[in-house]
Formats: sequence, structure tokens, C-alpha cells
Amino acid sequence: MDEMDHDRMPSMAKHCFVTVGATASFTQLLNHVATDDFIQALQQHNYTHLTIQYGPDLAYVAEFIDRHKTDTARNGAIEVNGFDFKTEGLSQDMSMAKPCPSENRVGGMILTHAGTGSILEALRLGVPLVVVPNPDLQDNHQMELAREMHRQGYVVATAPEELCPAVRKAEDLRLRRPGWPPVENGRGPRPYIRESLNDELGFLD
Amino acid sequence: MAAFLMSFFSFCLQLALPVAAVGILAVVVLLLSLTVSHRSPVRKCRPKDAQIHLLVVLGSGGHTAEMFSMLRRWTLEPSRYAYRTYVVSSGDNFSAQKAKEFEVNHMAEGKTPNDAYTIVTVPRARRVHQSYLTAPFSTLHCFWACLTVLWGQYPEQQHLPTEFSSPYPDLILTNGPATAVCMIVAAKLLRFLHFFLPFLQADSGMPKLRTVFIESWARVSTLSMSGKLLLPLADTFLVQWPKLGGRRAWWGMKRTRYAGTLVD
Repeated sequence: MDEMDHDRMPSMAKHCFVTVGATASFTQLLNHVATDDFIQALQQHNYTHLTIQYGPDLAYVAEFIDRHKTDTARNGAIEVNGFDFKTEGLSQDMSMAKPCPSENRVGGMILTHAGTGSILEALRLGVPLVVVPNPDLQDNHQMELAREMHRQGYVVATAPEELCPAVRKAEDLRLRRPGWPPVENGRGPRPYIRESLNDELGFLD
Repeated sequence: MAAFLMSFFSFCLQLALPVAAVGILAVVVLLLSLTVSHRSPVRKCRPKDAQIHLLVVLGSGGHTAEMFSMLRRWTLEPSRYAYRTYVVSSGDNFSAQKAKEFEVNHMAEGKTPNDAYTIVTVPRARRVHQSYLTAPFSTLHCFWACLTVLWGQYPEQQHLPTEFSSPYPDLILTNGPATAVCMIVAAKLLRFLHFFLPFLQADSGMPKLRTVFIESWARVSTLSMSGKLLLPLADTFLVQWPKLGGRRAWWGMKRTRYAGTLVD
């Protein structure tokens, strides 16, 4: 089935963007991204591009990026690129995972550490999101947030060892994902905030 | 020798009792005044068209991103929130940049230059990896800077428009971390002083220096360190996950309020 899809639209680009964040290094995630298994999983789902924001740990992915950069002549191969940081932020790279028919691009996926900035940005774009919390971090509230968002069906939360199955789960997410931001009981956040601030300021009703 | 030790010991005991008594009294007064301050409702006296001076304390990276995500979503009216002060920590160019972008894109209303806001840089309470030995001193330094900002006397602070008779901001809004705690404690201290020395207050008597703390969206079931510290201090404490709603510092205090997902 997947092979057929690939034959039918060989020219459509499909991007996977991986980000480890700017603050802490996350070599465990990079180790599992820079594998032929992961490339294969992406190929099975018709991805054409993989971009890795690797932070301070170029050493873990340099050889992998080099090898797959020169391989692009091979039919159906994935083009792999990478960079360390961008001062202007990652919006540009993240939005490459959004479908854009005029640029001949279908929707891809974003794979991120559990930093709130990245999670929120990807949710806002409406792109399928795989969240990998860093198990080495002392404070595990990131893990909890990822699990809760997974439970509510907004993201796929997974361990660094489980990236390949997550690529398929991201495809499920593309088909059914609740709208973001959530609206509780038909009430947006504005009434609460307005009420709270007006009460605090002592405005006459 | 033994007799000397005995008399020294009894002297210490005599001294220890009054010191302990004063200490306990101070703690009781502190807890009581915090409780009274938390429980007293805000007088509804502000006319609908009153202009507000809003002070926003920006944390860093993720905190700042969350803050502007919320501010964008609320669509603050520039006519009501007529003057904004943003407080950033030294070295945090990201937050200052985000504040400028927010002002240009959402608050300017076509006005250039937009002079209805100011960005103030205060020293950090504690740098990442800073030793705990020196942290109290840098925290005090930060606390002093926060007091000066609230007085409107911080070096880089511009003069408020003449509509504002008091240098104090009406509302302090923050989502952490360290500088936010300093700012809210400073605001509370100033309000405490004004409560006992009312003659210092030379303005309209409107509620001022009211504080709102919003716990980070990343906190699902445990409060952050700044959240725990500010639980008895912030006047309004909003949380974004149901599990954190209804918490309070101790018996008789106001509870946290679950406000739903405020970020987008």
C-alpha cells in the first residue's frame, strides 16, 4: 500500500523535522534518530526530507548526515540535513512539515523533546507531533505533560527507543486529532481571564 | 569552671526565651497579615474607563513564550491597559525581543512610535549553576531592583504618562520564575507598608500593586517552585490543569483557580 502511494506521487515532498531544543543536550534521542531503521520507517511512509536540529551534539549525527547527504541520487532516498541552533527560532523549519500544495509538499511530522515552546509551536501549526521526553532530566514534569497530552490525543508521546512505531502513529494522528487550543465547556479562556483581572483591579461592573 | 558553665548556660536560657517569643510573634503576625491580605476582597471602585498600568514579569525561554501566547489570546485592549512595563532578567534578549514584537504587532494600533510601554532589565536572582552560597546576595540585589522598578525610579525606566498619578503599576502579571517571586514579594511589602502608613499614599486610593500569577502550562499535577512560594502571596493564582485547582497555602487562604488552557 505504502509502496503504491509512493509510485503514484513520486514528486511530492514530505518533511520530518527533529528538534532537541536549545538548553540541554539530548544525545539519546539523536542516537535513535541517526539510524538506518529510522530512515527505513520514514521511507515506508513516503518521507523525502529529514532535518535535524541537534543542538550542541554534532558529533552524534555528523557522520549520519554526511552519508545521507551524498546518497540522494539513489531512488527513493531521504535527504538528510542538520543545524545546531537558529537565533531567529525554528518556525521556518517547523512549517516545512505543513502541507503546501503550491510548493508540491504534503503534510509531514515534527519530532521534539518535551519543551513547552516546541510543543506549543507544533500544536499551533496543526502538524502531527511526536514528543520524546528526556528520561535523564531530574524533574519529570515534562514526562507528565507529554503523557497527559498523549492521553488526550493531541500528540504521540514515546521513548527514544520507540521512534519507528511512532512514525506510523503520527499518520494516525494526522487523520484524527482534536482541535487546538481546547475549549472547555464551550467557554474559551477569555471570560476567565477578563473576570479575574477585572475583579483584581476593582472595576465597577 | 563548672559553676561558670552553669551560670553561662542559665544566662543563655534567659536570653533564649524572649528571643524565641519575639520570633514566634513575628511569624504569627506575618501569617495573619498574609491571611488577612489574601481574604480581603478588592473594593469595586474603579470607573469603567480608567486606564491601567500593567507590569509583566517575563521569565525566560519557555515562560516568555507562554506569556505572549496568553497575552495574544486575551487581546488586551490598549485603551484600557494604557501603559505596559515589561521586566526582563539581564542577558535575556529573547524576552526583550518578544516584548517588542508583541507591542508592534498587537498593541501599537498604528501608532509609531509606540511610547506606551517600557522594557526594564533587572539583575538575575540566581544564574543557572550559580552557587547557593552567593545566591542570597544576588536575590537581594534582584529584590532591590524590583522595589525600585515599582517606585518608578529604576535607571532605564521612562517617565509615566501624566495620566498616571502614582508610579505603582495597578496590576502585576507573571508566570515565573525567580524574578517573578522577587517582584510579587516587593509588591506585597509595599502594600504592607502603605496599610500601616496610609499617609504615604498621595493618590486616588484605587487598588494598586495587585498580583496575578499563572502557573506554567507544563505543570500538570505539581506546582513549580515559584508557584509553591507564591501560593500564599499572589492575589490571584490561576492554573491550567484541573488537578492543580483548589490548592491553598493553609487554612483560610484563597484557593488556586483552574482556568482551562490559557496558552495556544
